[in-house]
Amino acid sequence: MTEPAIAVRGLTKIFPVPLHRQSIVAVRDLDLRVEPREVYGLLGPNGSGKSTTLKIILGLVSPTRGRTEIFGRDSRLVESRVAVGFLPENPYFYKYLTGEETLRFFGRLCGLRGARLRERIDELLDLVGLTKARKQRLGTYSKGMLQRIGLAQALIHHPRLLVLDEPTAGVDPVGSREIRDLICDLRNRGITVLLSSHLLAQAQEICDRVGILADGVMVREGRLDELIAIEKQTELILENASATLLNEIEGLAAKSKARVIERRKSTTTLERLFLEATKKRRSTNGE
Amino acid sequence: MANDENYLTLQRVPGRGSLGEGGNDSTSAKLMETRHRAFSFARVHAITVNTLTELTRLKVFYVLLVFALLLIGSSIFMVQFTFQQEFQILKDVSLGAMSIFTSLLAIVATARLIPQDIEDRTVYTILSKPVPRLEYLLGKIAGVLLLLAISTLVMSAVFLLVLYTREQAVLQATIRHMSAGPRGQLEDAIRAVHASAFNIDLAPGVVIIYLKACLLAALTLFVSTFATTNIFTIVVMVFIYFIGHLQATAREYWLQAHSSGVLTRIFLALVALLFPDLQAFNLVDDIVAGTAISLGLFFKTSLLGIFYTTIYTLLAAVVFYGKEL
Repeated sequence: MTEPAIAVRGLTKIFPVPLHRQSIVAVRDLDLRVEPREVYGLLGPNGSGKSTTLKIILGLVSPTRGRTEIFGRDSRLVESRVAVGFLPENPYFYKYLTGEETLRFFGRLCGLRGARLRERIDELLDLVGLTKARKQRLGTYSKGMLQRIGLAQALIHHPRLLVLDEPTAGVDPVGSREIRDLICDLRNRGITVLLSSHLLAQAQEICDRVGILADGVMVREGRLDELIAIEKQTELILENASATLLNEIEGLAAKSKARVIERRKSTTTLERLFLEATKKRRSTNGE
Repeated sequence: MANDENYLTLQRVPGRGSLGEGGNDSTSAKLMETRHRAFSFARVHAITVNTLTELTRLKVFYVLLVFALLLIGSSIFMVQFTFQQEFQILKDVSLGAMSIFTSLLAIVATARLIPQDIEDRTVYTILSKPVPRLEYLLGKIAGVLLLLAISTLVMSAVFLLVLYTREQAVLQATIRHMSAGPRGQLEDAIRAVHASAFNIDLAPGVVIIYLKACLLAALTLFVSTFATTNIFTIVVMVFIYFIGHLQATAREYWLQAHSSGVLTRIFLALVALLFPDLQAFNLVDDIVAGTAISLGLFFKTSLLGIFYTTIYTLLAAVVFYGKEL
């Protein structure tokens, strides 16, 4: 059995409320296992305990009960973080640093130096498409650019696990698509990704497995394709099908005791429409 | 279809280490993991440099400009006094202002460091890297201490420059007035001017002022680890500043007036334990008056400053270690 990237067992986190007898249970008896090289989505509404779970996994908050491990190491130990890169929700980095200086700072924190660090900075700036903005201060960056420099800093030390808290929150559709493409690329390169989100359509596109949290409790968990598959239903998408052919198919279905539930024109998504329209506009303006 | 289009060009540079675990990447990732050290001066250094950059870009050095203007302005005003009075007032004003400005700088610069990092979530990105919380705090306090050292040096340089300029002006005037008189008298006068301008005790005086600022910075860091806002930290520190200056006087008064009260003694002992005796760092008056500071007193006060700074930094580390971020 392979060692899990993340193993959470019986995790409970209770926040006491000062001057009150009651306390807030943020996470209750949570078990979670993220396998290496998969994208795991921790989903749930605001206040469901997603961020608290991530913080406990990263050792930023201590659990009331239970245990969390990263590649077999107790996540309360500092050395467990050598294998982890983290992008917090809506990150604000030091505004007075340029993109390049930001990566240099985080690289040094991870023990990188000299030519190795310079090469890594060039590589990551290129990867997240910020080479031209490398000398710009972060105070002038857009939200999408901040998110991308955030991803770059999370990757600076070659982590095996990437933890992303709402990675596309507040980013426009183009930036959001870029980040999702990057996450898919990272998975293809063997990096495990744990992300929290309440943007379900986006999570559906990139996650291999998901867990749904509600009031600190895991209410559903499993492989995404299995969770969302509707038993006994099959989709058939045809191109250039004539009305006669469609009627014949419906007839065949009726003969074999199957039932056509819906017949409609295929549509694109609003996101695809947006991306196409803005891309055309950008290429017309020569950007 | 748009779905197939990739707006972000993902390139892998041949021959370089890259993102993931595959091939060489796995080796580099594992190499980094095995190299992790429990304590690293390099990491502390990175945070120190960043803290210093943060503080300098916040334009805190404007305080130094105010200091320079105050000194130059007061030196113009003091021309009407005798040179002994002039040098004494100049030293009094300079060392007093240096003490207040470094204390102010220590409190204001330190108060924002941790709450701001928590508010902006930058602390998450730093502490989710393999950086122990103690290193983070040490880097922060070292950045402030470095800023205070630079500020103290610049203020001392401005002070010495103004003092030297005034000394030269007084010397020239003395030579002009006494050139017709006996040579011995002129030499005596020149010696008197030199003696009232510079004395060797100015140097330990500046060191003590710096150490007092270090102590205040460490104490502010400690308060900021459990405070939720900068304002709270600054207000608490202002109270501590005044209590710290008054407690020695109050202690003497209470012990004389209520010498038999056990409760009073316990209360005073608690105050003395909780609040640093800042009056112990007030050697400026003696220096300005020309009283020599004994080497013993200098070392004792310096050790007290270093001790307090270390204790408050460690206390800050203990509180910050258990802090839920």
